[in-house]
Amino acid sequence: MSSAKLEADLSMVLLKDIIPAATNTINTEFILLDKGYVAQDGKETTCLALVADESASVHFLMWGDECRGFAPGDIIRLENGIFSYHKNSLVLRAGKKGKTAKVGEFCKLFVETPNMSEIKWARDHNNPKKFVQESAVSPHSRIFPPMP
Amino acid sequence: MGSSELLRIASHEAQNPIDSSLREAFSSLHGRLRPPFSLSIPSPSEYSQLNLALAYAILTQPLSAKTHLTHLHGIVTDGYDLFTKTLISLSHHCYPKLLESPRTQLLWVSSQLVEVAAVGVESLIVSLLRQIKGGDFSDASLWLCTELLVILSQNWDWLLEEPLVITSSLFVFLRLLSDHYRLVGSMVLDKLKKMEIEFCIRVLRECFHLCLGIGRDLIRLLQDLLHAPEFSDLWRDLLLNAGKFRDSEFRDISQLYCRRTPSHFFKLRISPEMETQLRFLLTRVKWGSQKRYQAWFFMKHLGSPGAETLIIDIVRFICCSLHPSNEIIRSNVISRWAVIGWLLNCCSKNYFSANVKLALFYDWLFFDEKIDSIMNIEPAMLLMMNSINQYVDITHTLLEFLLLLVDNYDVQRREMIVNGVCKSFSLLVRKGVVHSMESLTSCSMISPALRNKLAALMSSSDLGAVDVKVAATMVSHVGFGK
Repeated sequence: MSSAKLEADLSMVLLKDIIPAATNTINTEFILLDKGYVAQDGKETTCLALVADESASVHFLMWGDECRGFAPGDIIRLENGIFSYHKNSLVLRAGKKGKTAKVGEFCKLFVETPNMSEIKWARDHNNPKKFVQESAVSPHSRIFPPMP
Repeated sequence: MGSSELLRIASHEAQNPIDSSLREAFSSLHGRLRPPFSLSIPSPSEYSQLNLALAYAILTQPLSAKTHLTHLHGIVTDGYDLFTKTLISLSHHCYPKLLESPRTQLLWVSSQLVEVAAVGVESLIVSLLRQIKGGDFSDASLWLCTELLVILSQNWDWLLEEPLVITSSLFVFLRLLSDHYRLVGSMVLDKLKKMEIEFCIRVLRECFHLCLGIGRDLIRLLQDLLHAPEFSDLWRDLLLNAGKFRDSEFRDISQLYCRRTPSHFFKLRISPEMETQLRFLLTRVKWGSQKRYQAWFFMKHLGSPGAETLIIDIVRFICCSLHPSNEIIRSNVISRWAVIGWLLNCCSKNYFSANVKLALFYDWLFFDEKIDSIMNIEPAMLLMMNSINQYVDITHTLLEFLLLLVDNYDVQRREMIVNGVCKSFSLLVRKGVVHSMESLTSCSMISPALRNKLAALMSSSDLGAVDVKVAATMVSHVGFGK
């Protein structure tokens, strides 16, 4: 019971509000729309996916068991996730400190535009540690285009 | 916490709240679940925890389940209401995830609850009936059918007092039988088929007055078994010797046609999960976003061999039980006709697509404004009308099928069906569901023969001024089209 209460206390953010940063502080919930191929990245298994909520979509990088554990249509809760550059692409992931869990299926609304991974970010003039949105490279994911 | 002993939970899946509450009650009370049992009267909160703990113990400890059940008999003060509700919730939300042993235990304890006529046990049985997955001929699925039939047959006297269970189980087993009948199967399947036939015939012969409550869909289901020799006597009596059913009310099959099937029956062949997803799709998802949801729904529920048969039940459910509010109808949420169009497209075999079309038009055939809802006939009309521009073959196929039904569904009662179909068209125009019949009757892409037939049908029925006008426009348009 106490763990459920803790989860409720975590402040959840919408995907449209995530900003690239080098910290594991993102708590959010999204639905998995599409999965790429499962790939071997050194010792690690990875798989890029398109995930979304009712505000935005983003590329989500799954690691290890997550790659086969999650399927399109799954609703996933991410705790202490990180949104940052990984090999030159901007992805959301659990990282070593974060945690994911499937909390449902199907019943969640989503939009594919904007895609937070397809946005060009620039350093904030007032605070060079922070990123601000500069322009959208593409309105939707170029890796996982919307269904015709 | 270790892995669940109740449910199959994958490594990345969150805890299941029902599983957790049962498990927590069990782990805090398991010391008290062994004899000698406490003689003190539990407080209300202790009582409810004890119920949950005993449910968990009975489901996960088959070897001591009998002792736990005796314990339950000893402490129960609410007619098993809470205990039964706990099992209903588990069955409703978690049945597909239940591990094999807890499944066996659930069916066993359900049969025990029937024997003591527990409060609410009828809903538990109905909930379990709903868990039999249509089009799934796996051992686990056939096992559940068999177990439920055994419970029902062995508790016949109890069953006779439970009209909801009688009509629900007849509805379910007639529907399953039409699929099972077409399979050439194993010994298990043959044995099950025999049990299903015996059960259905017995219910129909002994409780026909209750069966009438199912309404017209009883005929739709029975008609699928027309070729089964075991049902030929029954059919003969339905058509020729109504008196054989010893029901003073029943004189002719048309009485069944005139009774609209209550909407709760259509849920029986849709799993709770399918219902949740269909409701979400048709009340929340906007036009343009439906494709991914449809693909997921297909993958989850319709992708396996044999599952196509479910489309019949889904279409019937959407037409008769899933009626969105006017607010939703006016919004840009995806419409029922569009989802039905997609489902119709998913049918690859003629047998299924014919039955899906019958499911779509069934209420048209006997439509009576006094008892029927326009919402039941609306999807077919809109699907025909809205397909004209881009998918005229759908319009054509549907119209052709409807006119075939008028001529062939029940030749003896053709007049009644003509009347029902004409009333359907005229009400849909009168209520503004469609502006007029013009786009249908003046569509040059629909064959003139078909349009002539439609016009003749409409003018043949005596339906009052509005309809005559509609029919007249149609005749003139068809004439023009030639």
